[in-house]
Amino acid sequence: MTEESNFAAQIENDRNKLSVRCQFCNCLMLKANEGSYCEQEVDVPLMQQKQDRSAEALQTEKLRHFWLIKDMMTFENIGFSHTVDGRKFLVCADCERGPVGYHELASKFCYLALGRVVHGDK
Amino acid sequence: MAKTYDYLFKLLLIGDSGVGKTCILFRFSEDAFNTTFISTIGIDFKIRTIELDGKKIKLQIWDTAGQERFRTITTAYYRGAMGIMLVYDITQEKSFENIKNWIRNIEENASADVEKMLLGNKCELNDKRQVSKERGEQLAIEYGIKFMETSAKASINVEEAFLTLASDIKAKTEKRMEANNPPKGSHQLKLTESRKPDSWLSRCSLL
Repeated sequence: MTEESNFAAQIENDRNKLSVRCQFCNCLMLKANEGSYCEQEVDVPLMQQKQDRSAEALQTEKLRHFWLIKDMMTFENIGFSHTVDGRKFLVCADCERGPVGYHELASKFCYLALGRVVHGDK
Repeated sequence: MAKTYDYLFKLLLIGDSGVGKTCILFRFSEDAFNTTFISTIGIDFKIRTIELDGKKIKLQIWDTAGQERFRTITTAYYRGAMGIMLVYDITQEKSFENIKNWIRNIEENASADVEKMLLGNKCELNDKRQVSKERGEQLAIEYGIKFMETSAKASINVEEAFLTLASDIKAKTEKRMEANNPPKGSHQLKLTESRKPDSWLSRCSLL
């Protein structure tokens, strides 16, 4: 994952300076310069849910830093979950770990969380 | 922003439950590590980018999401599909026999020129085999489509199958463009025009 202290270094002209990849299997998700940086506070389900949770209690965390991708076809490789409350969650196309962000059905925009991916050209 | 790809193909995976369609869609499924949250809601589709003859192609690949349990797939699912992978399990005779029914379902619901390919999956389970490779080949010949045996588990032929299907759709698309825009007195063919990529997307209520 990319540490929050390192986020600023990833932004160049409001865009992602480097390619965005899966933090587990390094699968290429988004090429450099294809996402635009945006800040918003959104509750995103945790990648690892505790085993003993009750069915109702979905564990989430507030995330603030995202790459905005307006056209889903801009992605190199990405997976979309089924819809939950007007959103689809984004997962790695290869290892299926996620969510790494979400897709909003109303706007058709995709948001990739900087903290749930790695940045690098290799 | 300018389109960064040449073609967009919508592909479907069709076949009985349990033949491994989901594993084919997600070829690294053995390493796949579904968190509880993602495995509960399930995956709808994936976007993958490939390159063929210097052209960048986006594949949008859909799984049937369990609709196949009802032995039929609705017209909405077929809408805009340009390629279909028909999948059976070489260890399940029934899944092979049902390919005929799936082809009928496709003929009734999908566009007539959809490109099809037959896949005999789980070919790593040779000791449990119920359907010979020859029967698969024979059926494919009968329908005039291509055939491969695959193993999503052992990563055999899965990528090749998608590249083959994509390549056939690309050839068909380019041939159609050529017919629509015949070269004028030139022997050089220039295929710079790409098809409008989001025509079917805009009709799809899911998106």
